[in-house]
Amino acid sequence: MYKSTNISKQFTKITFVGSLACTFMFSSIGFVNADGHGVYGPFPITEKSYNGPKKNSVSYGGQIARQLQHNALKKLASKGNPGDPTNAPEKRMLKYLNTKDKSKTLAILDPSPSSSKFPVKQKMIGELSGGANLSGKADKRIQTSWPGNMSGVDVIKFMIKKAGKTKGGVDTRNGMNYPQLISKYTMGAVLYHQACDNYLDEKMTASSKPNNKPYKKGAYYTGKEHSWDEAFGYWGAAAHTMKLTAAQSYNIAKKKDLKAADYNNDGVVDLKTEMTYAHAYYASSYDKTGKTNYLKNVTKAFIDGRKLITSANGNKLSKVQLDKIQDYVQIICGNWEDVIAESVFKYAGSTYKALGKIEKAIETGSGMDSAMSKYLKYWGELKGFAMALQAGPDNKSDTFNRLNRMMGFGPLMPNLSQVVGIDSSGNYIKDQGSSIGYYKLHMLKIQKLMAKEYALKAKVNDATGGMAALLEQVGTKKSAEND
Amino acid sequence: MEFLTQIIDTLHENFFDPKKRVFVGYLFSAILISFLWLCIVKKKTLKECFYKIFDKKIFISKSAKADYLMFIINIIILMFLSPILITQLAIATVVFEFLHSQTLLMPIDANLKYVWLMPYFFTISYFVLDDLTKFITHALMHKIPILWEIHKTHHSARALTPLTIFRTHPLEGIIFVLRSALTQGVVIALFFYIYGNNITFITILGANLLSFWFHLLGSNLRHSHIWINYWNWLEKILISPAQHQIHHSIKKEHHNKNFGVTFAIWDYVFGTLCTSKNNEVSKFGITENEHKYEHNIFYLYISPFVGMYEIISKQISTRFKNTNKKTFIIKQ
Repeated sequence: MYKSTNISKQFTKITFVGSLACTFMFSSIGFVNADGHGVYGPFPITEKSYNGPKKNSVSYGGQIARQLQHNALKKLASKGNPGDPTNAPEKRMLKYLNTKDKSKTLAILDPSPSSSKFPVKQKMIGELSGGANLSGKADKRIQTSWPGNMSGVDVIKFMIKKAGKTKGGVDTRNGMNYPQLISKYTMGAVLYHQACDNYLDEKMTASSKPNNKPYKKGAYYTGKEHSWDEAFGYWGAAAHTMKLTAAQSYNIAKKKDLKAADYNNDGVVDLKTEMTYAHAYYASSYDKTGKTNYLKNVTKAFIDGRKLITSANGNKLSKVQLDKIQDYVQIICGNWEDVIAESVFKYAGSTYKALGKIEKAIETGSGMDSAMSKYLKYWGELKGFAMALQAGPDNKSDTFNRLNRMMGFGPLMPNLSQVVGIDSSGNYIKDQGSSIGYYKLHMLKIQKLMAKEYALKAKVNDATGGMAALLEQVGTKKSAEND
Repeated sequence: MEFLTQIIDTLHENFFDPKKRVFVGYLFSAILISFLWLCIVKKKTLKECFYKIFDKKIFISKSAKADYLMFIINIIILMFLSPILITQLAIATVVFEFLHSQTLLMPIDANLKYVWLMPYFFTISYFVLDDLTKFITHALMHKIPILWEIHKTHHSARALTPLTIFRTHPLEGIIFVLRSALTQGVVIALFFYIYGNNITFITILGANLLSFWFHLLGSNLRHSHIWINYWNWLEKILISPAQHQIHHSIKKEHHNKNFGVTFAIWDYVFGTLCTSKNNEVSKFGITENEHKYEHNIFYLYISPFVGMYEIISKQISTRFKNTNKKTFIIKQ
């Protein structure tokens, strides 16, 4: 009797432990599945006409190649040399703008392939894609934010030409910081424009790039799958972004966190899937403040949207599925637009502060060089992002007109001159602008305009934020009381 | 339900936020000061002090009950009115933007040697300027007949308790909210423009350092029956509780005196100062004889409108008469 009770107890124990182990095991399996969804890819092949060896339908190498071409342009724009009769700096930049690196001769410049602290897998642009260039993808509309009635690619080419002939890429006479202008504008005119005004716009309609057909003849991905992937590539987030903090994503872009970047632990950073670029980098910078969650909002919507497309298993997307896709597009492009608007807000604040230093330098007669250098850098970023914002699908013409009018075509210089146009030879035309005080006021109004038109939350460098905080500190009198 | 929660929140805020005059901590300090004053200066026994401070006749008087009721009703009225009133941020933004278009005042370098002094300078300046605008507004409430009709509600109190501050007509409440918004908006925008992020308020428990001490040192005794006076010389600098009680006195010689809140210097400069020396107060209110409805809640809310209507119609009829007279003379 005693024995049988003991055996029964042992049995109960074993059953209990076994149940626990099973529960843990199955929940772990569940966790692995959920975990897999936190990364953009791999996703299975669903294209029915494809019979090849590929197992992963994700492909956005061309977009990453463009991210790297953009990085290279920014780097090269600061190497301008007016004394070079061969125009070598301009020619090099044009190569990164126009070349499709099929022959793998175009070196990656940023991140540096020779870095030992942040080693990267690819050395040449062509290793990511041999069929991508920036010039073919720039916004084709007339850019009212820049003088001369030029299309997007013409604006970039104009800036490149100027940068190549300007020492260090910074024109101190007209106030143009070309590395900043080229970089920020290209982010908008190519990366943001292509994603939100093309791949997530026309190509997400029922008739364009259907899911029951390959993207192009012989492709292993469907029309919708690849359109979605391309937009994700332009966003510039690492595939495993959902597993990172905003600070980690930020540090990856800054090439400071190899451990966080190297998701597959192979010791090198795969520039296609493990790197943070351009827009995703700026999103992470705002998310670091803890006030926003742009990076993960957008990345999650991309992952969820891709899952939905994959779940159609190579069939045409139903109306319900297309509607759901539109919901994801709203999240992606809405947040993306806000990230750019946050940047306009931030750099309007930086420019405001820099103008204060210019005033001080004029008053004291010292420190003008350093004040001007910062001012032109911030203004370049402000102008570049303001132009980028206008390359999106929303034509907020009233907002954009006010934005362009307030910042002008060039920064207000200490002698109160300002670029107002371009002549037929491509030279800047200048006129007398307002006072520095008025121009500072314009920066405040730009911040106000951005806060009014967009759902900004980070509001970095809020020029009047300190004042609002003081008013908050003193409190509002809401009750009727005598003293 | 949400409406009720909002009322409870406002009530709670009034008693538990150190930025508010009737914060429990300040009420407690007022009681403590009263005890010390009566025991040490007036040589009363503890029991006498207790009965004097918590005088039943005062706290459950008709006048005090009207104060309590107005406190609640005004919270509800202001709840609807305050969202449509101009905010201090709107005023500050306009002023701040205006300052960019002038060249007389320019921002000061952030690297100044004495930049650490700025928060103190700002806190003191704000407190002083706020007090000055309170003085001006208060004086105008007495001097302009239409405004006096509104302010009379407050002066109709026969018993003064710390909650008498809430015996305020909502129209006067709006004037005070606007005064506060204007002062805060202008002063803060001006300082922020000149000193940028170097300025901040020096606070204790979230309240302005000087407001905190003003309230802690017995601001609630201004509206009380405890006669606490300062030395004569000090009453020319700071308004004592007794001086504010003089302001509420029915005696003719006390009318239009002591408009100041913290500082007596404004009254001194403008000739409206009355120190407590030889100035005992016999009764609070407006008239000697109590009006039948003076603590009736409807009367308190309606009578200012009636009073204002009478003044305006009188003005119109006087002007009309004068115009007719002139026409008559010209015709003759």
